[in-house]
Amino acid sequence: MASRDVVQYRSPLTTAFKVFSVIFLTLYLIWTLLPIFVMFVSSFKDLLEAFSIPEVGDWAGATVFFEFTPTVTHYVSLFRDGNFGTYMANSLIAAGGSALIAVIFGSMAAYSLSRVEFRGKKDLFFWIISTRMAPVVAVMVPLYAIFRSLDLVGTLPGLILAYTTFNLPFAIWILKGFFDNVPYSIEEAQMVDGSTRFQAFLSILPLVAPGIGAFVVLCILFAWNDFLFAAIIGSGGAKTLPVATRELVQPQNIQWGAIMAAGVVTTLPMMMLGLVIRKYLVTGLTMGAVKE
Amino acid sequence: MTDTAQAGANPDLFRAREYATDVEARPISARLTPPVQRNPPSPRRYYLYLMAPAITILAFISLYPFFWLIVMSFQNVGVGAGEWAGLRNFTRLIDDDRFINGWILLLQYSAMCLALQLSIGLLLAVIVNGARWEKFLVTALLMPMMMAPAVAGLVWLFLYNGTFGWYHWILQSAGLLGGTSMIGDANTAMLAIVLVDVWQWTPLITLIALAGLKRVPQDQLEANLVDGASPLRNFFAITLPNLYPVLLIAIMLRFMDNFRFIDAALVLTGGGPGDATKILPIYLFEVAFKFFKLGRGAAIALTLLLVTIILGMILVRVFEKPKSGRN
Amino acid sequence: MFYKPKNALYKSISRRKFMELGGGAASALGVGSMTIGLNSVMTATRVQAQSSDDAKWKQFAGSKLVFLSENTPPSFAIRDKIQSFYDLTGIEVEILTDDLPVVQQKAGIDLRSGNADYPLQYVQDKPIGAPFADFYTDLTPMFGDETLPQDPEGYGDDVWFENFLTACGRYYDGDKVIALPYDAAVALTFYRQDIYEANTKAFEAEYGYRMEFTDDSTWKNVLDFATFLKARKTAGEDVPYGYAQHQGTFAWTTQLDIQRMMFAHGRWTDFDIDDKIGSKTPGKTKWGDDQSVLMLEKFKELADASHPDNLANGTLELNTVYQSGNIAMQVQYHEFAASVEDPKTSVASGGKTAYAPCPKGAPDWIVNGGPSVNGTNCGIGGIGISNNASEEIKRAAYLFAIWSTSKANQFEVLAGLGGTPTRKSVMDIPEVAAARTRPTTMPNALTFDAVYDHGIKDPNFVLGPKIPEANEYHSIVAAESQKMLSGSQTPAETAASLQRQIDNLNDA
Repeated sequence: MASRDVVQYRSPLTTAFKVFSVIFLTLYLIWTLLPIFVMFVSSFKDLLEAFSIPEVGDWAGATVFFEFTPTVTHYVSLFRDGNFGTYMANSLIAAGGSALIAVIFGSMAAYSLSRVEFRGKKDLFFWIISTRMAPVVAVMVPLYAIFRSLDLVGTLPGLILAYTTFNLPFAIWILKGFFDNVPYSIEEAQMVDGSTRFQAFLSILPLVAPGIGAFVVLCILFAWNDFLFAAIIGSGGAKTLPVATRELVQPQNIQWGAIMAAGVVTTLPMMMLGLVIRKYLVTGLTMGAVKE
Repeated sequence: MTDTAQAGANPDLFRAREYATDVEARPISARLTPPVQRNPPSPRRYYLYLMAPAITILAFISLYPFFWLIVMSFQNVGVGAGEWAGLRNFTRLIDDDRFINGWILLLQYSAMCLALQLSIGLLLAVIVNGARWEKFLVTALLMPMMMAPAVAGLVWLFLYNGTFGWYHWILQSAGLLGGTSMIGDANTAMLAIVLVDVWQWTPLITLIALAGLKRVPQDQLEANLVDGASPLRNFFAITLPNLYPVLLIAIMLRFMDNFRFIDAALVLTGGGPGDATKILPIYLFEVAFKFFKLGRGAAIALTLLLVTIILGMILVRVFEKPKSGRN
Repeated sequence: MFYKPKNALYKSISRRKFMELGGGAASALGVGSMTIGLNSVMTATRVQAQSSDDAKWKQFAGSKLVFLSENTPPSFAIRDKIQSFYDLTGIEVEILTDDLPVVQQKAGIDLRSGNADYPLQYVQDKPIGAPFADFYTDLTPMFGDETLPQDPEGYGDDVWFENFLTACGRYYDGDKVIALPYDAAVALTFYRQDIYEANTKAFEAEYGYRMEFTDDSTWKNVLDFATFLKARKTAGEDVPYGYAQHQGTFAWTTQLDIQRMMFAHGRWTDFDIDDKIGSKTPGKTKWGDDQSVLMLEKFKELADASHPDNLANGTLELNTVYQSGNIAMQVQYHEFAASVEDPKTSVASGGKTAYAPCPKGAPDWIVNGGPSVNGTNCGIGGIGISNNASEEIKRAAYLFAIWSTSKANQFEVLAGLGGTPTRKSVMDIPEVAAARTRPTTMPNALTFDAVYDHGIKDPNFVLGPKIPEANEYHSIVAAESQKMLSGSQTPAETAASLQRQIDNLNDA
């Protein structure tokens, strides 16, 4: 990045752009973070306080947003009466479990796809990817029928399997790219030295660790945040956080305080995860096409 | 196909060839067929076994629904039993206003989302690239993506609300809105759900664009600057072309995701008011889950699936290209 | 005599069941668990007619049932009390609550595939009862069954409020009863009498009559009140808007909102069928006739005089708007009285709100020659038993059904969470009678005069349309009306569009 120090280009346009970018960035940051901020703050407000807003046009009155007595009743009621501890555990197990399964089977499959060659390989690969692209709503009913006939509805293993439907193709897709970049000669050398094919496979896994890392994180993210699968296949014994949050919107009354608190509980772990794995996100989200 | 041709097309499998040492004296006119050295045992079968578990799971979970959909779409499955209906479900779709409306709205929705996400995302990436607090900024910008779409829908429902929503209050105070909330007005409801999608997924475009920007060859940019070109020209002439492949992937991904995820829109407007935001996946949800018209639902689902797969094929083709012939 | 539906279940269930169970292997798995269902357990002991009541209650001790319900307070109330059911019968009941669309879908799949995962279901009259009526057990044989405990009051029509048993229990067949009424949401008018009194002078000057709400107030009066208040509000005075409608995303209550007004004028109904029982072949719809077009015009006028954010508010948001004092009147379901009278969340509490039956039809607006009535409709939920379950499970489920709808239980729910009783005898309990006037410990009781003494009685009550396509019907009506209200089509066009779509829907 030496060029920025060496060659500078100054013109009125550049300074105008700099000014504009500062303004734009600030506005955009506010717009981006405002909902999250409102969610956090509102989760500590009593119901009536949460509803109080200033008069139209009264910009100074916006400080009423901060005038409240913080209360943790919503959180308490969620965890004590609302079983949110269980739901959190469910979310964790389902997300983690499906990530694990997807990594194991997916890396094996990705490795194979990367190394093997046969006539229909491109088609097979495309079919694998297409399973992830199917609109969930479309396949929901038949999936429910399958799961029901296997007695998996409402169970955590069932939910893990359901999440695997979209995590597995994702794993194969992203990991194949990584495996493609590892030259076969490494395994060859290993095998010449006497290890079995599988051991050779295991030995190159560290080389694709960034890919696996990216994938695991994204897998957990998508499984944690998923709503439709959990609502239909998981509900009953395997209710997860997003479903439980949505359920707080009851026909009788929308418990906004509890919803905000539930939103915080659902989002906070993922936000912290995001802080940690920012690096891997791009790689994962573009299926390995762009490497950080 | 001769071995030579095979070798050229599959360098991976035949890299072992480098170790072949057999050479024979033969007439020049004779075709040279170097011996093929295969690794013991036959690798292809081994790899297929390795793939098998994953493929079986996938087949089980994706093939059955697919065939089920096909069979269902030819049936008239309502609340009673199913009876064969031939192509009736499909022909009825042509007359169905809500189906056609659903497609039009879906394309509008995707187009608006993408246009906004791309422009804002790219702009942000350019601004943030190399800025002083780049890491912090990127992390902050990242946060909306971490939220579950269902939760995002709820939070925005709160913000848009005409009685106690802050977002509504801001817009009203700025004079942009009357008493009607954005989701209560058929004219602005679509914009409302587009904004939520943009809010949540622009960071993705930003991240991708940022990663792409960092790999733009600096020497070219430098050379151009020295030659007297303005940064703007640099951007359009060098940076942007380098970003195309990555951006294309991002566009395709978002396009397909717009077809798949209706969590937020369902919570915010549920398709209303009056069909103004009833994009096709939401309509499908209604038909399959509320009206129990599984036959009609399957027909709609198949059309959706078809378009998604076509888009996917394009995506994969684009995806393949950067790998070969990368500059 | 025996109604055989065109697509009788038994004709093709084997093929469908096969498909839905995923082929031979899976159906083998499925057959074994089918009659008992997921998570259900059955242990039974024999009883005779002469056995003691206690023995009859406990004959299925050790069993386990699953109850699929909505995530609404009545279900939460049962959940809180489930221990007493266990003490009484020894049956463990697992209560699953979900959003209504998810409940519909799960119930639908469960019932149609021949499974009995959810032997007990909460049957909302039109969204779930009307489409799936054939899949629920007829309870009438069990009413007189001596080997099952029976409520001393019995289960005839007269122990429940007028029309309640028919509303949630009878579909298409006058002889079958498939659900016992558990809770009811009946519409009535909530209005801010303090605001009315404050503004009556100015109103009288303009319109020539007092601004007050009585049993005879008509929809025209509502229109006048709303127009008056809206004009004042836009002129800057500190009054709320006059009225707002049920719109928003919940299609069913939107349709109910329109239906109230339509029925009030000449008892107009959507189809030419028996309104109480419904019909599987409703025939051509009456949408498109002169009365309906006129009503749509009036509905639009009313919307224009309503709160500006009318289209965004479903039933729930509407209540929030009323509670926050932004409108002076709403036609709402009586279970919301509990939240309206709660001083912690509502500015309309403490005597400011008064209750009256739904408005009557304005005589000038009736062109079809029918009478003017206080058009009232409802959403009644009952407890139903899946017909796929085994005989034993059905009987055990029956115990739950009669326990949860018993007088004692209903009174407790009313006193606790603010439920909505369905048995007449609950009214005789002294506390309840006392609670019907202020000050009261059971706010819902304040509405009983308007609801139980007036609204649900014939000729004011409209139960239907009970048709198999009820859900799509609601969705079509709601969508078209919202389009009309946002100005994209005229009332006449709306009526024509409704007629076309609905006739298409019912193949008429």
